[in-house]
Amino acid sequence: MAGDDEKDKVAVPPRPAGGRKLDRRDVLKGLSTVPALGLFGYAWQKQRQYEQAAAGTEQAAAAGDVQDVHVALLGAGAQGQVLTDAMLRIPGVRFRAVCDVWAEYNQRRVVNQLQRFGFQVNAYEDYREMLDKEKELDAVVIATPDFWHAPHAVDCLKAGKHVYCEKEMSNTLEGARAMVAAARETGKLLQIGHQRRSNPRYLHCYRHLLGEAKLLGRIVTVSGQWNRAVTPDLGAPERYTIPEARLKQYGFKNMHQFRNWRWYKGLGGGPIVDLGSHQIDIYTWFLGANPSHVMASGGQLYYDPATHEWYDTAMVVFDYDTPAGPVKAYYQTQTTNGSLGYFENFMGDQGTLLISESEVHAAKVYRDTNAPPWDEWVQKGYITAPKLQEAVEKDKAAVTDVRESVSPDEHKVPIVLKDPYHQPHLQNFFDAVRGSATLNCPPEIGYESAVAVLKVNDAIEAKSRLSFTPEDFAL
Amino acid sequence: MEDGKLARGPMIAITLLRVLVGWHFLYEGIAKITSPSWSAAGYLKQARGPFADIFRWLAAQPDLLAAADSITMWGLTLVGVLLILGLFTRLASLGGIGFILLFYLCNPPFVGLFYSIPVEGSYLIVNKNLVELGALIVVLASGSGVFAGLDTLVHAVLGRKRKTG
Ligand SMILES: NC(=O)c1ccc[n+]([C@@H]2O[C@H](COP(=O)([O-])OP(=O)(O)OC[C@H]3O[C@@H](n4cnc5c(N)ncnc54)[C@H](O)[C@@H]3O)[C@@H](O)[C@H]2O)c1
Repeated sequence: MAGDDEKDKVAVPPRPAGGRKLDRRDVLKGLSTVPALGLFGYAWQKQRQYEQAAAGTEQAAAAGDVQDVHVALLGAGAQGQVLTDAMLRIPGVRFRAVCDVWAEYNQRRVVNQLQRFGFQVNAYEDYREMLDKEKELDAVVIATPDFWHAPHAVDCLKAGKHVYCEKEMSNTLEGARAMVAAARETGKLLQIGHQRRSNPRYLHCYRHLLGEAKLLGRIVTVSGQWNRAVTPDLGAPERYTIPEARLKQYGFKNMHQFRNWRWYKGLGGGPIVDLGSHQIDIYTWFLGANPSHVMASGGQLYYDPATHEWYDTAMVVFDYDTPAGPVKAYYQTQTTNGSLGYFENFMGDQGTLLISESEVHAAKVYRDTNAPPWDEWVQKGYITAPKLQEAVEKDKAAVTDVRESVSPDEHKVPIVLKDPYHQPHLQNFFDAVRGSATLNCPPEIGYESAVAVLKVNDAIEAKSRLSFTPEDFAL
Repeated sequence: MEDGKLARGPMIAITLLRVLVGWHFLYEGIAKITSPSWSAAGYLKQARGPFADIFRWLAAQPDLLAAADSITMWGLTLVGVLLILGLFTRLASLGGIGFILLFYLCNPPFVGLFYSIPVEGSYLIVNKNLVELGALIVVLASGSGVFAGLDTLVHAVLGRKRKTG
């Protein structure tokens, strides 16, 4: 602090050469800003009390006296991280272990994070070793690549653990069937990660708008999409490259395959399985029937086919024989343009429901002019009061063309999910583990969904319309 | 104000400025320490501008990221305490300037960089980070810790030692 000497002269009287004694004035000046620190401490204390009180009431309201569930994460990649973040918000989840073959990177990241939250978790590369050693575990949450789901889930169930397993349930129907069988045999719970099944917005629309109010009338057509912009292949920092022997041991040819497994046959199912499975599951759920036929067109239109073995684009039409009558349902996914994102759109003779997990679309219903009034449902708070379509206003000046249908009123569905998307589905799983709920997506549902989705790739390959038989869905 | 002297009034004002900036640093640090989910990763991943690649690369290294997280939260806290107390004021100001410079460069409101992290104001080149950085330069240049702060005592003691030692 040599430079201070000169400035010193500013405020303090010039000091006699050779230093001087501390006087009262020095001490007072020296301590003059200490009270500010005290004030800070006081304000911070108050702030903490306030935050703790807020958090306390929230947790108490959410949980009461919850029973702990001891959990391991199997697969700590992108989705493993998302699930971990959501689970950290759920009372009573006690992390015990993390298993991931990428010990250098993903495993370490999640272990570090959990330690920061005060969980002393053990880290494993081999899930069998984890199952051998972690006797206290109640449940395993699986977010490994699709082709590992069946072996992982079956072995965890057989080791007596409840399992939450990401979609797609399996990349093969044999795998999915083995999972159903293991769950039935062991009597343990198996929740498949179609998280929209627990999303309050979807539940509200299913129960109240479609079930109770029947706002859409007779649903005749459905459309939906997941459009995703071009994304570069995933890479990995050089120094975290996994040794080849370990890659082979876990079924990957090289790092590119390890990181981009979704695009490879035998490991994943391409965009239709990765993205479409979520939404085709909603078709089935909302229509109350499994599809009877599927025709599809798709191809490797854009990406390097050597490293993208599955179709980057798929356009699909399903036929459904629903209890209310036949339905045609279109679905498309493409990975070269993200416009309009993702949503599902159900169209009946009285109205339309546009719904999405994303807040961009959220959920809206459109009332067709020939529908009975919806005032009752607005009053009940199921939907908001209508917003008149702008097109109607603008067109006033123009001569009305009788061939054009009048634009329907738009009502919003006032249900907003403030938590992470996956939290309600995980919460439902943990509630079921504690015996206070039933699963929203048991393996039987996951299986039916897998049958419908996996057949799309067959239909694209066969270039013809394929039919489903009731036996296809039977277990 | 001849030969670098500042009158009492401006010195009091600068000391107030020092305490305010210190308070802000301290709470930024403490808020991060007490929130277990905090990590710089989100901020780094959204980096823009000429240094974006470096910051994003940093976010992708678990070890370095963990180190960067600790350095940030403890560093901010320490700088905050020192600035409030007026202890080692110059060193603390320099440290604070370093931190702010990094935050600024991670997401600079340069001409032509449209949206950075959603911001609450409108900035062209100068944002609040840069203003706070300017405040620290003033503190650095004024020796405010010696005017009002523990540096007064350090100085007196060091001054004596220098003679005897
Ligand atoms: N529900 C959703 O919204 C959603 C979203 C994204 C992904 N997912 C699903 O989550 C799963 C994982 O996807 P991701 O995007 O996280 O992939 P990812 O490649 O980022 O992560 C997979 C992780 O599993 C690890 N792993 C691979 N084989 C393993 C093995 N045998 N044992 C232990 N660990 C192993 C890898 O090291 C990696 O860390 C997939 O099934 C995917 O379909 C679901």
